[in-house]
Amino acid sequence: MYLSNLKILNKITSKKSSFIKTGIFSAIAACWGFIIVGTFITFK
Amino acid sequence: MEVFLPIAQVFINPVEILLLSAIVGVLSGLFGVGGGFLMTPFLIFMGVPPAYAVANEANNILATSVSGSTTHWLKNTLDYKMGLIIVIGGSIGTTLGIFTFTYFKGIGKIDTIISLAYMYILAIIGTLMLVESLGEIDKAKKNIVEKKKLHVHYWIHGLPFRMRFPKSKLYESIFTPIIIGLAVGFIAAIMGIGGAFILVPAMIYIIKMPTKLVPGTSLFVTIFVSVIVTFLHSINFGSIDLMLVLMLIVGSIIGVQVGQKLGEQIDSSGLKALLAILLLIVGIVIAYDTFFAENIQNEIKSVESKDLNFFSRFIKEFSEDMPFFYGLFSILFAVILGIAAAFIRRSISKFREKYFKKVVKQSK
Repeated sequence: MYLSNLKILNKITSKKSSFIKTGIFSAIAACWGFIIVGTFITFK
Repeated sequence: MEVFLPIAQVFINPVEILLLSAIVGVLSGLFGVGGGFLMTPFLIFMGVPPAYAVANEANNILATSVSGSTTHWLKNTLDYKMGLIIVIGGSIGTTLGIFTFTYFKGIGKIDTIISLAYMYILAIIGTLMLVESLGEIDKAKKNIVEKKKLHVHYWIHGLPFRMRFPKSKLYESIFTPIIIGLAVGFIAAIMGIGGAFILVPAMIYIIKMPTKLVPGTSLFVTIFVSVIVTFLHSINFGSIDLMLVLMLIVGSIIGVQVGQKLGEQIDSSGLKALLAILLLIVGIVIAYDTFFAENIQNEIKSVESKDLNFFSRFIKEFSEDMPFFYGLFSILFAVILGIAAAFIRRSISKFREKYFKKVVKQSK
């Protein structure tokens, strides 16, 4: 049996990439949050 | 070692400026993006007041776009007719932009407006680039080939006054390129950028020009827009500092050549995500500087003319006494340097071709 055929390994790989994507999208959201909140504070 | 800029009235380190503009030049050569939206924030971080950073970066963009455009002119990959129609819109947009700039300068808010414009533009471009590059990486992993529609029609294609553009093989309303030029000119005047990040996608997806004509025509438009921006900033605000411009031009022209050569050898699509992250970080730093950092006054010192060296005094007096001719001189200065860079590049590549042919013949 090949190691790459193991279902658990495939699952871990797909989970890892979805974690990375979630991380990147949260970072983008945080960046936008920072900019928008800052703009509101400045103009208040 | 620090040098005093006679017009911007700040001390800067010339080595840092040369290095930074070379790095930004490498990035723009590698990714095919204009360096303006990175270099202007870097100048601001180095202590150059935003109003001066915008004007001098516009003059630097003039030199690099003249250099790039000359190369495309020699290769005959330029659509002059389309370019000139975009320039009409660009001129109107630039004039409107300078009016807006003057208004905000008058009420003392220009630095905040420039910072805000930069942080939003960088965040938008960074987000779009990051999402696009992640999508590309994902598709490449899963071997998905996406079928794209050949023709997508927007409302802008239904506008009247259609004209033939033989070189691009298009029959298009003149309002489409004029509206695009207007947007580019307005942003260029306020932010001191070439506007290629709007112009290039608009030319490909909205005007639907052949891709091989896009870079040359975009650079051709940028020449006119940056000439107007440089001239208007020079005569209205006297903010062009030729000492700074010279350093920026030398660094960026060398950097762009290195970046283009690197781009031919490595696949830069994977690095696109890194550039996107860099843009987002620069946007965040500008946001922090604008919103939360204490308002640190840069070293704006009034150094009297008699304390300046001959070259600095000449620039200062020339700019103050004859702003009109100083503006023309700044434009001519950038144009000559840009053309010289293009011809030097051409002779080097010809020499290399000859040399390599000789080596190949000898080896046979």
